[in-house]
Amino acid sequence: MTSGTVIDMGENDPDRRKFLKVATCAMGGGVGIVVAAPVLRLVLDPAGKETVTSPTEPLDLGAANRLRIGEPPRRVEVIAPLVKDAWSASQNVVLGAAWIRRTGPNPGDLDARSAVCPHLGCAVGWDPDKGNYLCPCHDSRFAIGGDKLSGPSERGLDALPLKVVDGRLKLTWIRFATGRSTPEPV
Amino acid sequence: MKARVVAFLRERAGLDSTGAEAPRMIEGGASFAYVFGSVLVFLLAFEAITGAALAAFYSPSTTDAWGSVAYIQDQMSWGWLVRGIHFHGGGAIVVVAGLHLVQTAVAGAYKRPRELVWWLGILLLVLCLAWAVTGYVLRWDQAGFWANKVELGIAAATPLAGEKIKALALGGNDYGNLTLTRFYALHVIVLPAVVTLLTVAHVKLARKHGTTAVRRATAVPSWPDQAVRNSLAIALTLAILLAYVWTQHGAELAAPANPSQAYDARPLWYFRWLLELRDLAGGAEKIAAMVAPAIVAGFLVMLPFLDKRPDLTVRARASWLVGLAGLLILICALTLMSFARDGRDDDLAKRRVAAGEVADRARLLARTNGVPSTGGIDVFATAPMWKARSIYAQKCAGCHEDPKDRKGPLIGPGHGNRVWLKAFLEDPSGDLFWGRTKLVKESKEAQKIEEEKGAKPDVPKPDPKPEPKAPAKADKESPPVPDTGPKDLAMKPSPVKGSELDDLVEVLYAQSGATDVDAAKVKRGMAQFEGACTDCHTLAEGVAATASPNLFGLGSRDYYTSFISNPKSPIHMTEDMSQMPRFDKELTIVERDALAEYLVWLRTATKADVDALGPL
Repeated sequence: MTSGTVIDMGENDPDRRKFLKVATCAMGGGVGIVVAAPVLRLVLDPAGKETVTSPTEPLDLGAANRLRIGEPPRRVEVIAPLVKDAWSASQNVVLGAAWIRRTGPNPGDLDARSAVCPHLGCAVGWDPDKGNYLCPCHDSRFAIGGDKLSGPSERGLDALPLKVVDGRLKLTWIRFATGRSTPEPV
Repeated sequence: MKARVVAFLRERAGLDSTGAEAPRMIEGGASFAYVFGSVLVFLLAFEAITGAALAAFYSPSTTDAWGSVAYIQDQMSWGWLVRGIHFHGGGAIVVVAGLHLVQTAVAGAYKRPRELVWWLGILLLVLCLAWAVTGYVLRWDQAGFWANKVELGIAAATPLAGEKIKALALGGNDYGNLTLTRFYALHVIVLPAVVTLLTVAHVKLARKHGTTAVRRATAVPSWPDQAVRNSLAIALTLAILLAYVWTQHGAELAAPANPSQAYDARPLWYFRWLLELRDLAGGAEKIAAMVAPAIVAGFLVMLPFLDKRPDLTVRARASWLVGLAGLLILICALTLMSFARDGRDDDLAKRRVAAGEVADRARLLARTNGVPSTGGIDVFATAPMWKARSIYAQKCAGCHEDPKDRKGPLIGPGHGNRVWLKAFLEDPSGDLFWGRTKLVKESKEAQKIEEEKGAKPDVPKPDPKPEPKAPAKADKESPPVPDTGPKDLAMKPSPVKGSELDDLVEVLYAQSGATDVDAAKVKRGMAQFEGACTDCHTLAEGVAATASPNLFGLGSRDYYTSFISNPKSPIHMTEDMSQMPRFDKELTIVERDALAEYLVWLRTATKADVDALGPL
C-alpha cells in the first residue's frame, strides 16, 4: 500500500511541504479551539453561579419558649420553603441541620451552630455523655459553646444568626467554606 | 533534554527510537475526493465532545429532562451553541456520509476486495441514523416526544416481533422514566461504543486496501499532502455548521412533552423522505415506511454483487451508478416535497405559531420561576394566579365571561373598581351586571304583569327589593306582586346622582380595603348610604340585614371567599335571588381563596394585564 515512487511534480519542494504542514496544524488548531471554547465555557459556567439557592428570609423554627436554659443543644432541620436547584424549583427542601440552645434568661440569649463540620463538612452530632459536639468522620470535638476542643478541625463550629421575632425562633442559614481557620460564607 | 524525553516515550510506546517509519502514501496522489472520511471522523469527535458537555447537565427523567435541556439552552453561557453544534452536527454527519457514499460508489471502491469496507460504511450510516433517533426523544419536548411516538408506532408494525420491539424500546407499556433512561443509555454509551469500534475497523480496513488509484500512477505521502486537504475540508465544514447553528440560534426546543396536547409531529429532516412516501402511499403507510428503507439498504448492500466486474471506469458501471443516482435523487426529491407540502399548509403554519408561543412561554417561565419538581408541564402552573385562572376557566367562565352564553354578571378587568361601581349603581339591571340573571328577568316579567293590570300601587311593598351586592335602594316601590309567579326583586337604579354618587361609590370602594381611598369622600358618602341604601343593605359585619346582601368588605378577598363559598347565604344573595351554585364543597378553601385573590387583582387590572398573564 505504501509502494510507488514519489514523482517530483513540484510536490516535493521543501518550502511548499513546510507550508502545507504549518497550514494543516494551524487549521487543526483553529478547529480545536473553535469547538473547545464553547464546550469549556458551558462546563465551567456553573462554577461561578449560585446554582442551589438559599432561603432569602430567616427560617421559622417554632415557638421560642421551647428552648430552656440548661438543656442540651437541640438539633433542628434546616428546611427551605423554596429552593431553586439549577433548572428545578422544589418546596420544603432540607438544606442541612443546626444545633440550637438557650444560653441565658434574656430573649436574645440564644446560640445556634451549623451542624456542618468546619473541617470537611460531615454532620456534627451531640455527645450527651461528654457534653460536647463530636464529628463522626474524623473525631473533631467542640465545646457546647462551639469552640474547638480536639481533632483536625481548623476552627470551632460556625455560629448562625438566631433571633426571636414575635415569640418565634428565626434562623438564618449560611453555608461556610470548610477547611479554613476563619469562617467564610460561600 | 527534549531528545531524551522523546526517546524515553518512543521506547515505552514501542516505537522505533532510531528512525522514522515509512510515511503512509496515497496512491494516485492526494485529492479533495478523499476528505469525506476524515470530515466524518472529526464530526463524530465534535459530537463526542459536545455530547460529554451536555451530559454534564442533562437529567434523563420525565420530570427533569425538559427542564435540564431548557436550562442548557436558555440559562447556561453558550449552552445553546454547544447544543446547536451537537444537534445540527448530527445532520451534518448524514450529509457528509451521503457524500462519502457517493464518492466511494463513483470511484467503484465497493468492489473486491473492498466489500467489507463498503458494508461497514453502510452499517455505520444506519447506526448514525438510529443514533439521531435515540437523541431526539431525550429533550422530552413536544417535538421529540411525538416524533418518537410515531417512530415506535412504525416499529411496532414490524411483523412478528413488533410489539416486543416497542415494549423493549419503551422499557415497558408506556412512555416514562424507563423510556428516557433506556434511550439515554443507548445514546451516550451503547451507540458511541459500537460506532467507535466499527469506525476504527472501517478506517483500518480502508487504509489497508488504500485508494482505488484511478487518477494517475503516482503516490504522495499522506502527511501533509492529504492532511492539508482534510483539515481544510474539516475547517470549512465546521464553519458552515457554525454559521447554520448561529442563524438557527442552536436547536429548537418546543414546549414540555404533554401527552394530552396534540402536536404536529415531524421526524428529523433526514427521515422526511419516508414521511412523504407514507403520505403518498396512503393506506399502506407502515409498509411504505419499512419496505422503502429496506429496498434502499438492500440495494446498497447488494451493489458489490450486482456490479462485480473489476472494471473501475464510470462508463462500464454506468447502469448501476444511474440506479444509485436515481435512488438518491428520489430521496432528495421526496424530502423537498415533504417540506413543500408543509409549506403550503396554512393551517399548519398557524398551529406552528401557536405551538411556538406555548414553547416560548414555557421557557420564559422555566427561566423565571424554575421547573417544578413535579415535571416540565407543571412549569405553566408557576405563572401568576395560574391556579385561580384555571379554576375560573372551568367553574366560572361559563356564566361570567363573554361572549359565551352568560347567565351572570360579566367579570373582567376593572371588576369592582370605581368606574365599575358607578356604572353598576346607575343601572344594576344593565346587561353587564344583573341583566341576564333570572332575578332581573323575573322582575321584568313581574313589572309587565303589573303594567298590564294597569293597577296603581296602593300599598308600598313592606320588603323593599332585595338588592344584589351593591347599594342604592330603589326610590320607587313596586306594586304588590302575587304570591306565585315572578317577583320584582331586582335592585333599582341609584336615586343618588352626580358628585354625591361619586361619594357613595367611594363608600363601597373603601370596603374592598383598597389603599387609595379618599376619606373625605367616604365621610360624605356615608350620608348618602344612610339615606338611599340602608333600607335594604348594611355595612355591619356578619349581619343579615333584610333579604338584601350585606355589603361589609365588598370586593375584599374575604368577601369574595365567603361569597364564592355560598352565594345563597343570608348575608349575601339569599336563597331566592341567586342561581349561582355554592362552591364550598366543590372547591377547597385554598382554591376559593385563590379565586378571591384573582378577583381582587382584577379590580386594578387592565385588559393588557390580563393578556400579559398569558394563555392557560
